[in-house]
Amino acid sequence: MSELTYSRAVHALAVLLTIAVFPLIWVGGLVTTYDAGMAVPDWPGTYGWNMFAYPASTWLFGPFDLLVEHSHRLLGTLAGFLSIGLVIAAFRCDDRRWFRWWCVGVLLAVIAQGALGGARVVLDQRTFAMIHGCTGPLFFAIATATAVMSSRWWLRSQSMVGATRGVAWLATLLAATSYCQLILGAQLRHVTAAVSHTSFMAFVHTHLTLAGLVTLLTLCLVGLALASRVCEPRIRRPAGLLLLVVVLQIGLGIGTWIVNYALPWSETTSSLAGYTIAAKGFWESLIVTAHMATGSLIISLACVVALRAWHTIPARHVNE
Amino acid sequence: MLRLPPKRNQNSSFTRSARRWIKLAAGLFALSQVTGCDVPIDAFEDNRIFAKRLELTDSVELELVRSDVDSILIELFGTPDQPLWPEFLQSNEQTSSLVSIDRLQRAAGAVRSDEEDVHYGLYREHCILCHGIAGNGLGATSRLLNPYPRDFRLGKFKFKSTPIGSRPTRDDLRSLLRHGIAGTSMPSFARLPEDDIEALIDYVIYLTIRGEVERGLLMRATYELDLDAGERLTDSDQPESADVALNQADVKSNTINHHTIELVSAVARKWLMAKAHVLSVPAPPDDLPIYGSEPTTGAARERLAESIAHGRELFQGKVANCASCHGPLGAGDGTVTDYDDWTKDWTTQAGLDPLDKQQLRPMLKLGALKPRHILPRNLQLGVYRGGSRPEDLYTRIALGIDGTPMPAIPMQPTNPLGLTESDVWDLVNFLLSLPEQTDGESNQ
Repeated sequence: MSELTYSRAVHALAVLLTIAVFPLIWVGGLVTTYDAGMAVPDWPGTYGWNMFAYPASTWLFGPFDLLVEHSHRLLGTLAGFLSIGLVIAAFRCDDRRWFRWWCVGVLLAVIAQGALGGARVVLDQRTFAMIHGCTGPLFFAIATATAVMSSRWWLRSQSMVGATRGVAWLATLLAATSYCQLILGAQLRHVTAAVSHTSFMAFVHTHLTLAGLVTLLTLCLVGLALASRVCEPRIRRPAGLLLLVVVLQIGLGIGTWIVNYALPWSETTSSLAGYTIAAKGFWESLIVTAHMATGSLIISLACVVALRAWHTIPARHVNE
Repeated sequence: MLRLPPKRNQNSSFTRSARRWIKLAAGLFALSQVTGCDVPIDAFEDNRIFAKRLELTDSVELELVRSDVDSILIELFGTPDQPLWPEFLQSNEQTSSLVSIDRLQRAAGAVRSDEEDVHYGLYREHCILCHGIAGNGLGATSRLLNPYPRDFRLGKFKFKSTPIGSRPTRDDLRSLLRHGIAGTSMPSFARLPEDDIEALIDYVIYLTIRGEVERGLLMRATYELDLDAGERLTDSDQPESADVALNQADVKSNTINHHTIELVSAVARKWLMAKAHVLSVPAPPDDLPIYGSEPTTGAARERLAESIAHGRELFQGKVANCASCHGPLGAGDGTVTDYDDWTKDWTTQAGLDPLDKQQLRPMLKLGALKPRHILPRNLQLGVYRGGSRPEDLYTRIALGIDGTPMPAIPMQPTNPLGLTESDVWDLVNFLLSLPEQTDGESNQ
C-alpha cells in the first residue's frame, strides 16, 4: 500500500473547525436556554443590516438575548468559512478522493445547518429549532471525525492492529445511543405547549432509561479497552475521558432537573426545601446549557473511539 | 465492451460503518420531525374535566352547550394569540383598572424580543410549560412536579394577604412572581423587568377570570337552563338591573346576553374587592421580642422564652390544633389523608373516590392528574412557602392557606374562644424557634 501524504493544513483546518464548533454549540444552547431564538427577527440579515456590519455597540452592549443570538450566527459563519477552507485545502493537499468529497459533505452540512437555523427564524417554528439543535451535535461529530481522519496517526496506522471488534462495535453503539439520547433531550428542552403531560413524562422516562444504557455502554467500552492487550493508547485515552465526561453528564442531568423543576422530594433537607429556582439565573442557565453541550461531547468522543477502533481492526476480524 | 464495476475497497469497514450511521441518523431525524411538532396554539383548552363533573353529578348533557361556551369565551376573551378584555369591563371605571389590554397582548402570543430588549409572549416564555395554555395547571411538565402546578381557573391562590375565599391582590401575585416558592417548581422571576412582571400578573388575572367565567357558564347551563327544551347560554333576555342594561348597551353581540355580563362582572368584582380584604398585620406587643432579633436584656430573653413556651402550648392545644396535622413538634407527621381543593374539585365533589382508579379513569383520560395527598409542612426545616418573615407567618396563621386543609385560626373577638393577636405572635415565635429547638431535642 502506498504511503499517503499527511497535510498539516488540512488537519489544522479540521481541528480548528472542531474547536470552533464546540463554543458554537454552547452559544446555540444559550439561545435555547434564554429563549432568544427570535431575538433577531430576520435572517440572514440582522435587523435589516448585513450581519457582519451590524453595529458592535448594539450587538455587544445591547440586550443579552440579541448578543447570544447574533454571536451564534457569527460563530456559525466562522464554521462555514473554515469548512470552505477545509474543502480547498483537501482538494489541493489530500490524496484521498473519498476524503475530498467527505470535506465537500462537511461544507454542505454546515450550509444545511445554517439554513435550518434560518428557517427557525423566518418561519418562527420551534420544531426547526429542535431539529437545528439535534443536527448541531451531529455536525460537531462530523467535524471531529474529519479531524481524526486527517491526522498523521490515521494515515500512518493503516496496517496497525490497535483495537478489537468488540471495542469498535461498543463505541459505535455508544455513539448511536448517545445521539438518540440527545434527540430525546432536545424533545424535553424544546417542548411546546402542544405536548401533553403524558408524552412529556414518557420522554423523561425514556431519557432516564437511555442515560442508564449510555452509562452501561461506556463502562463496558472502557473495561474492554483497558482489558484488551491490543488496544492502542489512542483508543484507551479517549475511552477513559469518555467515562469521566459521562459521570459529569449524569451530575449535570440531575442538576438540570433541579434547576428547572426542583426535586419532587425536596423536604428531605432544609437546603433543598429552601432552594428557590431562579428563572434565567446564571448558574441555572449554565448547568442546563452545559448538560446539552456535554451530550454533544460524548457523541464526538464516542465517534473518535469508534473511528480509531474500526480503522485499526485487522481486516480478517472484520471479514469473519 | 463490457464495463466492469469499479473495484470495491476491501478494507471498507469504516465505509460500511459510515453507511449504517447515515441510515441511523436519517431515521432519528425523521423521528424528531414527527414528535414535538409545533401545533398552532389557536385556542384555549375547554374545561372538560369540570364539565364531566357536572355531567356525573347532575346527569346533564353539556356537549349541547359546548359551542355556546366556546363562542362566548372567544368573543369575551379572544384567543391565546389575540387576547381580549371584555369591552364592558374596559368601559367601566373600576373594572378597567384590573387588566391593561396592552400588557395583556404583550404577555400573550409567541415568544420574541426586540432591539430594546422588550420581550413579548411572556406567558409562553415563562409559565406555559407548567400552567398550560388555559392556566389549567396541566402543562407538559405538570405530571412530574410536586406539588402540581396551580390551576388558576378556580380563582384560588394559596399565598396571599386576603382571607380564604377572597382573590389575591396584585401585590400578592407580584410577591409570588418576584420571590418564587422555595422547594417547589415555581421559580423566582426576580431578574425580570418590572414591566414584564406586571404583564404576567395581568395575564394570570385574565386567565383566572376567563376560567372562572367558563365554570360559571357551565354551572348556569347545568342549574338554570332546560337544555332538553332547547334553552341555550346565548339566548337573548331582558336585563334585571340598570347596571347590566347599561353594560349591555355597549355590547353589540348576539352571543353575549345579560346573564353572561352579570357573571363576568361578578367575577371581576371579586378581584376588585380583594384590596378591601387585605389583612393588616398588627405589630407585636411592645414588650415582646421576636425570635431572631437578639434580646438585649435578661428580662427580654425571659419574655421570649415565655412566648415560645406559650406558643408551643397553643400549637399543641385544641383551639389552634396545629399539632393534629403538623405533629406535636411540627415535623409534618400528623394527618396525611386529605387532598387540596383542586383535587377535590374533580374527585370528591364529583362523587369519585380519589383512591379508586377505576372511578377516576374517565377524568384521568381527560387529562386530570393522579390525586396526591396534601402533606402538612415539616416546620422544623424553617422553610415556609408563603414567606419566612415573622409577619408572613402571622398572615399564614391568621388567614390560613386557601385551597388546602390549613384553616384560618379562630380569632377573638369574632370567636370568643379564639386566639388573641398576642397569642398569634407567640405561635410565630414558637414556629421560628422550631428548627433550633428540634435540633437541641434530637441532640439530647
